[in-house]
Amino acid sequence: MPSNSMFVYNLTLAMQSFRRAPTLYFLIILTLSIGVGVLCANLALVNSMASDPIPEKSANLFHINMNTWPDDQPPDEPMHILRYRDAMAIAESKLTKGSAIFYASGVYARDAESSSMKRFDSEVRATTPGFFELTNAPFAFGSAFEKSRGMEIVIGDELNKKIFAGKNSVGKTLELDGELLTIVGVLKPWVLRPLFYHPTEGRAFNLTDDIFAPLETAIDLGWSIHARSSSAVNYTGIEETRDKDVYYLQAWVELADMNQKSALQSYLDNYSQQLKDAGEHPLAIKNELHNVNEWLKVNKVVDQKVLAFTLASVLFLSVCIFNASSLLLPRFHAAKFEVGLRRAIGASNRHMLVQGLTESVLLGLFTGVVALVLSWLFLKLSVQFLPRLTNLAVLEPKLLVLGMLLALVTSIASSLYPLYRANYYTISAELK
Amino acid sequence: MNIKALLKSLLLRKFTTGLLILQLSITLGLLINSVILALDTNNKLAQETGLDIENTLIISLRPTSGEYRNLDYYRSIVSEDLHQLSKLSGVEGVSLMNQLPINKNGMLGNFYDLDDPEIIRKDKYLRDVKFFISNENLGNTLALALLEGRFLTKDDQLDFGRNEPGNVVITNSLKKALYGDDSALGQETNNGRIVGVVKDIMLDPTIPVDKQYGVFDNRAMEFIFTGRFYLLRVTPGQVEAVRNKVSDTILAVQAERDIYRIITIAEHMKRFYSHDKGLAQLFLLLCGLMIFVTAISSYAYSQFHISRQKKYIGIRRALGARKKDILLYVLTENWLVYSIGCTLGLVMALGFNILLSQYISLSKPDIMLFILASVVIFVAGTIATLIPAIKTSNIPPVIATRTV
Repeated sequence: MPSNSMFVYNLTLAMQSFRRAPTLYFLIILTLSIGVGVLCANLALVNSMASDPIPEKSANLFHINMNTWPDDQPPDEPMHILRYRDAMAIAESKLTKGSAIFYASGVYARDAESSSMKRFDSEVRATTPGFFELTNAPFAFGSAFEKSRGMEIVIGDELNKKIFAGKNSVGKTLELDGELLTIVGVLKPWVLRPLFYHPTEGRAFNLTDDIFAPLETAIDLGWSIHARSSSAVNYTGIEETRDKDVYYLQAWVELADMNQKSALQSYLDNYSQQLKDAGEHPLAIKNELHNVNEWLKVNKVVDQKVLAFTLASVLFLSVCIFNASSLLLPRFHAAKFEVGLRRAIGASNRHMLVQGLTESVLLGLFTGVVALVLSWLFLKLSVQFLPRLTNLAVLEPKLLVLGMLLALVTSIASSLYPLYRANYYTISAELK
Repeated sequence: MNIKALLKSLLLRKFTTGLLILQLSITLGLLINSVILALDTNNKLAQETGLDIENTLIISLRPTSGEYRNLDYYRSIVSEDLHQLSKLSGVEGVSLMNQLPINKNGMLGNFYDLDDPEIIRKDKYLRDVKFFISNENLGNTLALALLEGRFLTKDDQLDFGRNEPGNVVITNSLKKALYGDDSALGQETNNGRIVGVVKDIMLDPTIPVDKQYGVFDNRAMEFIFTGRFYLLRVTPGQVEAVRNKVSDTILAVQAERDIYRIITIAEHMKRFYSHDKGLAQLFLLLCGLMIFVTAISSYAYSQFHISRQKKYIGIRRALGARKKDILLYVLTENWLVYSIGCTLGLVMALGFNILLSQYISLSKPDIMLFILASVVIFVAGTIATLIPAIKTSNIPPVIATRTV
């Protein structure tokens, strides 16, 4: 096995070379791994922000924007929030495979049977029952509620842990704002990055909700709107909004295939046209369907500041590579006698190259390991500075691989020129 | 000193010199833009708000029990809260509000004079006027400066359920937008009659300073469920003492409340800019790392070349060059490299500034900053090359006589 023994020999040489100048190689590994680590930490943030949270059906889920504001001064055109009757027109359409109409609210929750009066601040999604199937919400216990009205709720894993220590709490009752609602389902830990069903109002990186309540019940109970709402009229409580021009509901639909998209589009356009013909709004017919990834893009969920910083860290990495290069150059230069000697006794250019590459790959591996540790550190540090991104700070396996590859590439890149130079060292020059 | 000869010697090692110059220029480019970011953020935090930001406390709270759905109960608790808070020593004024100044979005609405509803087509900011639902103590508590008319009074509070607009106080920029230099007093708008005009306070820092349109009315007791923020005007120096007593005071009135934040307006403003500040700090951190790396490179660069030039330097010493001359020679060589690096860095800074402004807003670089950043690079570089340079000047002339 000559190639194998050659490999071992090259490895030994590389290790010898490291041992001969430990400070130098330490500096090289340090600078390269800082560069890779910073970039990798940023890419982890960008990756979390730009990823598709529901790849299995993101192309078939559509968010609906409509243009039905009653006068010619709409806050947006079209609007991502809908009024009750418009949203219901969507829910009633037979063209979709499923739909979810919801708004975000919040209540304080406690176990109705508990003696403790401690209440937990809970994010509420007041929604039609189609939400669970549409979003593939993962159930740990029980199931979804079946109707839009009823004193039943589904709770998230986090709240279940806080109140019921993570046990099966189906059948238990929560006291929410003085009302008793029964738990019919408990979700498994559910992470959506980004929170595709509600990326507006800067909520793209919020956690999934704590409580899912039937839409009509939440409206009846007057649970206030915690996200954006716009209204063309005065109103005091949400319970009076069903027949008023108050815009606060968001609508998602699931379509079986793309043919349904145009059918739904014309259904919506028809609906708007009818309203317009009846003199209910003067606006252009403008209904928009965005699938998950389009909707995330429209809402610019990728933080521009992080992108800017990523740009800076790319530059930084290039500086690190230049630095490693200028550190390696004297190292190879110092070894020129050895190189010349080896070539004189018959080592080919290719041999020298392979040997040099072995050294830089080994260097790259060391760098990679240090870089991964550093990127984890930088990630923690970044969210210290940018606490809004805390939920995004995860190093996925593919990023670990990417970090390793980056380390290898940078290490090889930085030894390219020194290697090229070393190949010109001849024994005659050295022995002179 | 012969610059031409120096340049020639640099050209002999164009690759390494090129690398170092590139590195220096990128470092300079990043340094300048990071400092710009940091300065921008500091300027934002230092801008005039029209508020006594250090001595005004904001208490953010929400009731947690269902009892509060009875609005009369809710009102009685809030009244008692405000009463008890006003009795705390060091508290000079107490009020409540539905939303905070120095914030994006919030409760917005359109606002126009009933005689001229078309004006909102011309000025889009009139469609997003901030509505502050508050009470008669707001003017005193926020120390608003009255320009015209009067503050809100107890009498401006309407009977509950009366679906008609009452009296309002507006900010000066809103008055200017609607009435120019004329008086606004007594004018009827779609949201009530104007009884007072106050000096602008910063409502939304993301919109122009002359578009800080705000309306204040006295309906907090009617729409009590919107009163999520209590405001306390505190005697200077008493902020911490008052802050420590707030929670207990409120919870003693009724315990089923979630008091999730007690901060001064200054702290609220810091929170508002925390993302900007975090980014600026990250950039500065990166700069620090970059300067460190570049310093290592400068060190390696001079170390390497000195080791190669040992013999020539020895010859020079033998021919009569003093230690000082050699030191100057090595340093000048490096300074030349830095000068080229800084010049290129200017281009890099401009380019990077343009690139960054695609993503974030930041000011243009100015020449003072460039000079300052160049000085930093020079100093850092000189420190890094000082040791190799001194070593070089210590090369004895006798080296010249050796052959290898």
